Amino acid sequence: MLPQAAEPPWAFGDAGGADPVGAFEHRFRAAGGEVVRLTGEAVARGWLDDFAGEFETVSVCTGVPDALQPALPPAPPSQAALGVSLAVGAAAQTGSLLLSSREGRQPQLLPPVHLIWVRAREVRPTLGGALQAHRENLPAVLALHSGPSKSADIGQILVTGVHGPGRVIAAILGADA
Amino acid sequence: MSSHDYRARARRIIEETPEVREAVTAATRTFVDHRRDAYADLDEIALSGWAEQVKSHVLTHLGDYLEEAEARLVERGAHVHWAETASDVHQIFERIVREHGVQKVVKAKSMLSEEVALNPFLESLGVEVFETDLGEYIIQLLGEPPSHIVGPSIHKSLDDTRVIFHERLGTPRDASPERLAQAARGLLRDQFITADLGVSGGNFLVAETGSIALIENEGNIRLSTSVPRIHVAVVGIEKVLPRWADLSTFLQVTAKSATGQPVGCFVSIIPGPGGSPAGEPDGPEELHVVLVDAGRTRLLADPKVWEALRCVRCGACLNICPVYRQTGGHAYGYVYSGPIGAVVAPGLVGLEETLPLPFASSDCGACADVCPVRIPIPELLHVWRQRAVERGLSSSEERSVLSLWASFATRARLFGWAENVAGLVPQWVIRRLPMLRDWSSGREAPPADGRTFRELWDKGIK
Repeated sequence: MLPQAAEPPWAFGDAGGADPVGAFEHRFRAAGGEVVRLTGEAVARGWLDDFAGEFETVSVCTGVPDALQPALPPAPPSQAALGVSLAVGAAAQTGSLLLSSREGRQPQLLPPVHLIWVRAREVRPTLGGALQAHRENLPAVLALHSGPSKSADIGQILVTGVHGPGRVIAAILGADA
Repeated sequence: MSSHDYRARARRIIEETPEVREAVTAATRTFVDHRRDAYADLDEIALSGWAEQVKSHVLTHLGDYLEEAEARLVERGAHVHWAETASDVHQIFERIVREHGVQKVVKAKSMLSEEVALNPFLESLGVEVFETDLGEYIIQLLGEPPSHIVGPSIHKSLDDTRVIFHERLGTPRDASPERLAQAARGLLRDQFITADLGVSGGNFLVAETGSIALIENEGNIRLSTSVPRIHVAVVGIEKVLPRWADLSTFLQVTAKSATGQPVGCFVSIIPGPGGSPAGEPDGPEELHVVLVDAGRTRLLADPKVWEALRCVRCGACLNICPVYRQTGGHAYGYVYSGPIGAVVAPGLVGLEETLPLPFASSDCGACADVCPVRIPIPELLHVWRQRAVERGLSSSEERSVLSLWASFATRARLFGWAENVAGLVPQWVIRRLPMLRDWSSGREAPPADGRTFRELWDKGIK
């Protein structure tokens, strides 16, 4: 008999129900990702201008609002120093950002650094909850990004940035600073 | 490579390349430690019990769920192919290659593609094939098969990789792991961008939404399934999950059991083609899903070993196995090594062809304890051993080992459960699965008549 479809909370301990954004940050950092919390659009813009100073060129996904696009010369995804995207969800339980192919995939994958905007209200406690929100309207790929690209295939030594971005920053909008 | 040479090969590995045992033991111990930490706060028994029930349910209704998955995929514009044998898989690829003039393929890691020997076939068509998982790429350069389900190159040291990269990619002889990874990244990046076709496997296929799910850490699967204009996913028919809501737990269970991660660094959930047909800016405009049997229905119809098909390929049973650790995967002479390989190989390929693999075990039972879907691996090994003895295929040495464990045959749980399933599974699935109808018509009917021995016994055998 098929048991109830379940993501039983008992099976995964505290999925950060009380503070999903905090739990997300903890997991995402543990996997080698960076997290910045930005309280409002003005703060976000100020942080972005500062952050963008590290890069020469950018490739931006179509889902990113104008206000969240860095003032950098655009470049094709395969040449850009920075890729920017907007997550369509997040899960605290696994420290995952949900990315849709509807905004274009290559800026999410090809540049060595990936900045992902995510709204605090989109951060769900469980992965199941985050996925459920997309069940009826799946893009051609719904992807989870839960940290930088990494591999231990060379002598069991961990290296980052193997094929995908080696540096990934989750910029959380509207969370308490 | 043949499995018959297991003993000789194991001896040679242990005596002539002791560094393999060192590398494999160190790597698998790390996996085991990480897995233990990942499960520390969880009710592992409840979780594995739930996962076992879902997978067993799928397997006893496999035809229905496969048809549902196919219908959903087709609705989204994917092409679904059914392949009963390795040669069917080859023919499907040949058609796609010829139709699109494919010259270069980038491959994400797929054990099933190893099982059906896809690379040599594609190369025979004149297609250039690049493995893109770093571990797979290393062993492709070395001309070796994978040594582990999750970490194909775990038997290789840093220095092994330095040597082969120095020879083939021109990196310094003492290059750092970062430098080596950068060299592979640069070379393979060009291939992603110029390849016509990307090949992936599939960790799961969700029937309800017709979605393939893939777990990885490097990003090579995302790239292989996003950059080339065609994506072909090669998926074993046992990979189905019933509901969208089952996926999140199986993703986590698999990652935790494999490497101790909450989930892989990247997961791709793919319900159809991308690009302009989907109204999206990029992505492959064609998606082909090849559903592969390659012996799985035969294993499913076997009332005593079908449970092996619950396997999610996490590799936890390899990591914990004291026998596997001595040699790594190459001694086994088969794609799937370690305890699960020794159970699956005789089912998929044939017992005679894969002896003495079911005997390559110390019977410690650790594999059953770590299995996230509760495959009773030691019991299944004993089934194969007993059959080997019955058919006169085993050596006297093996017979004496077996006698120590003859008591398994009296275990009520194994026999009661297995015989019940035998009454329900095979005809049901075979009736439902279109491709199996033809196949089964020329085949001996499965023997079960719906009444188990125990039921007959209770009623008084007639």
